[in-house]
Amino acid sequence: MKDKHGLLLVLIFTVFIGAFFLLNLILPDRNFSDQENRTLQQAPDFSFASLFDGSYTQTYEKYAADQFAFRDFWIPVKARAELLSGKRENNGVYYGSDETLLNQFTAPKTADLDTKLSAIDTLAKNVDVPVRFALIPGSTEIWSGKLPADAPADSQKALIDYCYGKTSVDCVDFYSALSAHSGDYIYYRTDHHWTSLGAYYGYCALMDGLGLPCRDLSEYHRQTVSTDFYGTTYSASGFSWIRPDSIETYVDGDAAEVESYARGPSNAPTESGLYVQTFLGKKDQYSMFLGGVTPLLHITTKNAGAPSLLIVRDSYADSLVPFLTDDFSSIDLIDLRYYKGSVADYVKEHDIDSVLVLYSVADFCTDDNIALLGF
Amino acid sequence: MVFSSIVFLFEYLPVVLAVYYLVPAKWRNVWLFAANMVFYGWGEPVYILLMLFSIGINYAAGLLVGKYRGCARKKARTALGVNIAANLALLIFFKYFDLLAETLSLIPGVAIPKLGLGLPIGISFYTFQAMSYPIDVYRGDTEPQRNPLLFGTYISLFPQLIAGPIVRYKDVDDQLQSRVHSTEKFASGVCRFTIGLGKKVLIANNVGALWDVYAAKGAADLTVLGSWLGIIAFTLQIYFDFSGYSDMAIGLGRMLGFEFLENFNYPYISKSVTEFWRRWHISLSTWFRDYVYIPLGGNRKGLRRQLLNIVIVWALTGMWHGANWTFLVWGLYYALFLVLEKAFLLKVLERTPGVIRRLYTMLIVTCGWGIFQLNSLKAVAVYFKAMFGFGAGGLSDAGDLYYLAGYAAVLLAAALFSTDLLRRGWERLPQKVRGVLCPLGVCAILFLSTAYLVDSTYNPFLYFRF
Repeated sequence: MKDKHGLLLVLIFTVFIGAFFLLNLILPDRNFSDQENRTLQQAPDFSFASLFDGSYTQTYEKYAADQFAFRDFWIPVKARAELLSGKRENNGVYYGSDETLLNQFTAPKTADLDTKLSAIDTLAKNVDVPVRFALIPGSTEIWSGKLPADAPADSQKALIDYCYGKTSVDCVDFYSALSAHSGDYIYYRTDHHWTSLGAYYGYCALMDGLGLPCRDLSEYHRQTVSTDFYGTTYSASGFSWIRPDSIETYVDGDAAEVESYARGPSNAPTESGLYVQTFLGKKDQYSMFLGGVTPLLHITTKNAGAPSLLIVRDSYADSLVPFLTDDFSSIDLIDLRYYKGSVADYVKEHDIDSVLVLYSVADFCTDDNIALLGF
Repeated sequence: MVFSSIVFLFEYLPVVLAVYYLVPAKWRNVWLFAANMVFYGWGEPVYILLMLFSIGINYAAGLLVGKYRGCARKKARTALGVNIAANLALLIFFKYFDLLAETLSLIPGVAIPKLGLGLPIGISFYTFQAMSYPIDVYRGDTEPQRNPLLFGTYISLFPQLIAGPIVRYKDVDDQLQSRVHSTEKFASGVCRFTIGLGKKVLIANNVGALWDVYAAKGAADLTVLGSWLGIIAFTLQIYFDFSGYSDMAIGLGRMLGFEFLENFNYPYISKSVTEFWRRWHISLSTWFRDYVYIPLGGNRKGLRRQLLNIVIVWALTGMWHGANWTFLVWGLYYALFLVLEKAFLLKVLERTPGVIRRLYTMLIVTCGWGIFQLNSLKAVAVYFKAMFGFGAGGLSDAGDLYYLAGYAAVLLAAALFSTDLLRRGWERLPQKVRGVLCPLGVCAILFLSTAYLVDSTYNPFLYFRF
């Protein structure tokens, strides 16, 4: 009896570690994890130099974890165990009510913000056209009611108020516009972006600030283009069992022509669109708006007489731009993470009538490239 | 390499065990030696040379001391003294040089540049382990080992190489030559290793994340509730981290046929600080007792000398834990309580109810961990102020309630596991029930730990750097 008991334990252990040793050897390495939306670590090349500086073993440890057999099975097991133990978060993502995933938010030191704010003021001084500044609060703020009870999250409203008080340019009040509609589907539940509906309310706030009317929601032709969208918070969280988001569009895709300067302004552009349908077949479906990350986009609308606009922006602008096609003749979009030229020079050289600096609060806090605005 | 990693569990260990049991018995120690070098070199290959050097000098010292101890006591003494000095010099140079340079540079006119050397993994453990050997040979407690490979295998034995227990040569001398391998022993090793893995991955890492939340907070944000939550989390983290490591070491040892001495014995149920140090990191306390305290005279030279000896031993014990003067303060903090207990407190405690004695002990231990883990006395002062209601953060805030709700289950389970209640219950279960529950438990812990390791970005070993 006692021997059998011991043998069973020996078998459990050796078979468990032995089986995964063999499975990890046999199963092919994957390049990309759809579930996590990221490239997985590949086997590092061995060299004595990398062995002795420690980088080989470090990369190898990451490789072993990334390529572990059935990784997509293990990650949610841990996420479930965390929830079962009473936690309401995993890997920096809150598990909110109604299967809503919300990123944790910690406000940075005000000194970090001040450099960026003064860069905006410098830009306003360097150009002859009006510069506006707009910060988009994230779902963690507007949907704070969905957060787990007492979950700590620094106030984005306070941060917006601080920034707006510090800069001398005109600012747009997205906070009021979005919080007035907090009961609607204005953010994705599984992604950090706003939905097209959220972007519409942002668009109205923008028009309001310019003293212009915005079209009523009922005038648009609403289309659901995806019902199986899983976004970035989903990828980070490991809560793989929740239901997907849907993606909707309100403006027709042929409302404007889009030229994409994927390789910088000096190279010839390629033709893109307000909606790039091919992304709907990929993991990163939000990139179907304007085709995802691009250093510079030039959009020409059908309203030749209207003013032109330059937006210095993060990816939240991608779903806002379709609404703007009614009111501007052209819209240029600069992403400072990849566009390294001077924004002031761009304004002077391209007959721009006004500039909008448009960031989500989260990106504004973390993206240091914004300081480049002053050059 | 650390035990709680994918590479160790699913690549290193299966290969090491498979080859170990496939090769003829006489090749097993050779294989172990090779495996030890890979284990040690995984993080910092260059320091393999340091380890070989340490093996070399202590091997030679053992032979010399063994040769002269009977006929030329003086020569044996000299060889021993030189060897101890060499070991300490290595330890001081690699571990404390920068601290000493920084401190001495405070003297006007002195400027010693820091070297910024990475601390060789486990140097504190294996230096102490190695030093004990020639001393034991000198004392006639053991015979010198003539086979350098066997000696090297002992010093570098991977289960206890980097975080203990500190295994003394005389305790494994016989096992190096010949040891019993049996299904029973391997199975008990599996249980022990798996329990240790669960302690580390499922509990220590978990509550460690809570401590990190509060350790990062400034004076203004630390509340009474929050600071207690944080320090209690750390108190549990360090116990489960370190005792989990010892469990894994003992378990791995058994899988390879070794029996190591116990290193922890439910320290958090102690009824006095004196008792706590008989239950915490036993191999270190024993080392200091046998190689420092007793040679200094112990309690044989009067009370005054004994109290001084306690202070010396605890100053050294403190500094052993890290290159920061806060560790000296931590050691002296314990010396104070140990001296007080020796002088009169133990007698008072004997007439006090057990609950109060346990609360008293845990209060001192918990506050001690604050001194141990925060990296400056200023930070300690800020943290203690918050704990005792003199901070700026108030009683509690919403975040505290969130963390309390989220971690309550894990903290309570950890507190329960840190007592011997469950083990006593387990021993009362019928053999049949245990025979079913044990494999189920092993499966559950292995399964969950694997899930946590595959997803882990948070997996530090607290004692890894000592």
